[in-house]
Amino acid sequence: MFDIHERKRPEMGMGGRRGGGGGGGGGMMGGCYIYDENQRPNDTLVTPDVTFRRSIYMNGSMTMDDGNTVTIWGFNDGGGGMMMGGPFPSPAMRVTQGQIVHTQLSVPMCCAHTIHHHGIEPGWESDGVGHISWDVSGTTYTYQWRPMHPGTYFYHCHTNTVLHAEMGMYGALIVDPPEGVGTLYSGGPTYDMEAFWVVDEIDSFWHTLGWTAGTCGADVGLNDLNPDYFIITGVDGARSAMNAPGIATTMQVGQKLLARYICAGYHPQRIHFGGLTGTIHISDGRVLPRPVQVTELRAHSGERYDIIFEPDTPGEYIISCEIRHWVTGEVLGTARTRITVE
Amino acid sequence: MKRRDFLRIGSAGLAGSLLGGSGLLAWTPRASAATIDRTFYVTEGFITQIDGTDVYFRGFSSSPNGLNVPGEALIVQAGDTLRITIDNTLNVATSFVIDGVVDSGPIGPGQSRTITFTVDTPGSYLYHDGLNAPHNRLLGLHGGLAVMPSGSSNELYPGSPTFVQQYFWIFHDIDPAWHDRLRRGLQPNTAYTPRYFTLNGLSGRPPGAPGNGDPAIDSMHDPRSALHGSIGDRTLIRIMNAGLAAQSVHTHGNHMEWLTENGVIRPDVWEKDCLYLDGDKGALDVIYPFEVPPDSWPPARTGEYPMHLHSEMSQTAAGGYYMFGAITDIFFE
Repeated sequence: MFDIHERKRPEMGMGGRRGGGGGGGGGMMGGCYIYDENQRPNDTLVTPDVTFRRSIYMNGSMTMDDGNTVTIWGFNDGGGGMMMGGPFPSPAMRVTQGQIVHTQLSVPMCCAHTIHHHGIEPGWESDGVGHISWDVSGTTYTYQWRPMHPGTYFYHCHTNTVLHAEMGMYGALIVDPPEGVGTLYSGGPTYDMEAFWVVDEIDSFWHTLGWTAGTCGADVGLNDLNPDYFIITGVDGARSAMNAPGIATTMQVGQKLLARYICAGYHPQRIHFGGLTGTIHISDGRVLPRPVQVTELRAHSGERYDIIFEPDTPGEYIISCEIRHWVTGEVLGTARTRITVE
Repeated sequence: MKRRDFLRIGSAGLAGSLLGGSGLLAWTPRASAATIDRTFYVTEGFITQIDGTDVYFRGFSSSPNGLNVPGEALIVQAGDTLRITIDNTLNVATSFVIDGVVDSGPIGPGQSRTITFTVDTPGSYLYHDGLNAPHNRLLGLHGGLAVMPSGSSNELYPGSPTFVQQYFWIFHDIDPAWHDRLRRGLQPNTAYTPRYFTLNGLSGRPPGAPGNGDPAIDSMHDPRSALHGSIGDRTLIRIMNAGLAAQSVHTHGNHMEWLTENGVIRPDVWEKDCLYLDGDKGALDVIYPFEVPPDSWPPARTGEYPMHLHSEMSQTAAGGYYMFGAITDIFFE
């Protein structure tokens, strides 16, 4: 097999301010493409309005409806060292448009991670992309951002992203307008309640891999995602999501529900609203020029849709999200929850 | 044909076939239509991947000794007549097709044929070999064609949002087992499982990797792919998918203004940071506005950001090699 260590050494030191290719000289990283070498503090920092502290965990687990468990990695609230486990998805960040926000990420020497605030567009040194800035290892790094567009985002690790995001290293990120919770954007519609539909697929085999798998030259199968579980916001979509708080919703006729739908998997999705019609007001943190009414919707990895439902007929509506193979379109699995209208 | 008779081209060997070193598709509108002549040589060879695997490809090449995957990007204006000569150097048939515009029909082994047609509708098109669809296209016989509105230098279609520069992003996914079967004249007999992912024929070579920073090898620095601009340099990107996998196109730094999907003008322009690109000839036209990254504090006018596919399997090569897939960088200068 191609010896990455031999081949990359002569190349090290290229790339100006970038890391020289990480790993080559860094003990634990071996010959892997990880960029922790040129870490330095963020020199753009000012006094923030709000600060989030995140540490990491890499020995969490999720129990599926069939009784099996899979390993989950993620972020914990608070700084400090690595915890054994933690919440999945990772704790949400909720901020108000215009606030200056700090995200302080603490990573022990064990490993390297970043936080990328997906859809938020900060300076490059706050974007959390390892090969452009650096991966965070053995230190605390502060990202600075000032969200200017209300809507639904998420944050995730951008180190060896293909694996680390699949392992669960993500959480919701909500930007509220100055009016606060209950208003979608300034001058926009209001809502009475929220549901978070973060739809993802899990390939149990991928969840047995180590954190550098896929960066060191070996074939570990990361070109081929064969999911066997289909989840909504960290809850198995086979049965449990049908009654999980914050996912499943019970509401009254006359109330307005805001569903924040995040396509967090890697295969395309098609979500059906079970007979309800929703109105999309925002996608990817941008208000649509004209709202769009839909009874179903297709989405691909990383897309977000903010959808308001105002049902006028009591009943139980099954929200079903099909995860479809990226080549064949075959339905690989379906995750379900519900909206009950009384 | 024996393997040793093929062209054998490492990524570096493709250097001579790039567009003269400039990624910008220079375009000066004309007051009247013209006739555009091009010759494509249909050639074949092997391209060595990052893990050392030699994968068989065919291309619409600019010289009989080259292998261009994708073929040269063409830019013309509505009303122009294209006179395309296809010189088939292979011992199998080929064809030249632009869906809805022209279909040469089969061009036999060793044959040369000139196809003459007029392009009337501004927009972005994929030219490709339509035989044994999608097989010949997957082997590399594809490229991009831009038809500008007549007399216009800054619109996708008459009245569209405007831009100051334009690029093609032609994505591809590659299952080497399929390429090998097709090289031997056999039908693929396994489920399509892509192992390599390219942007304009190249894949990422991150810092520290052999070829990092080489514009002929590294898609992050290929001038056909990497966006360079200053604040206000609105950039049209004509996105096409020559492969079979549906992808999610994700930009950092700015959202994309979404103008078209599969050749159809969108009723409203949405601003998106992820866009669903259909497999099997899916297409999008977007403008990357090169605005001050809106959530930066202090406001950032310079910096470097990635464009990558968020369908993250596409960011790998040979089952690992994260960041050796379909990715490029965006430079705010």
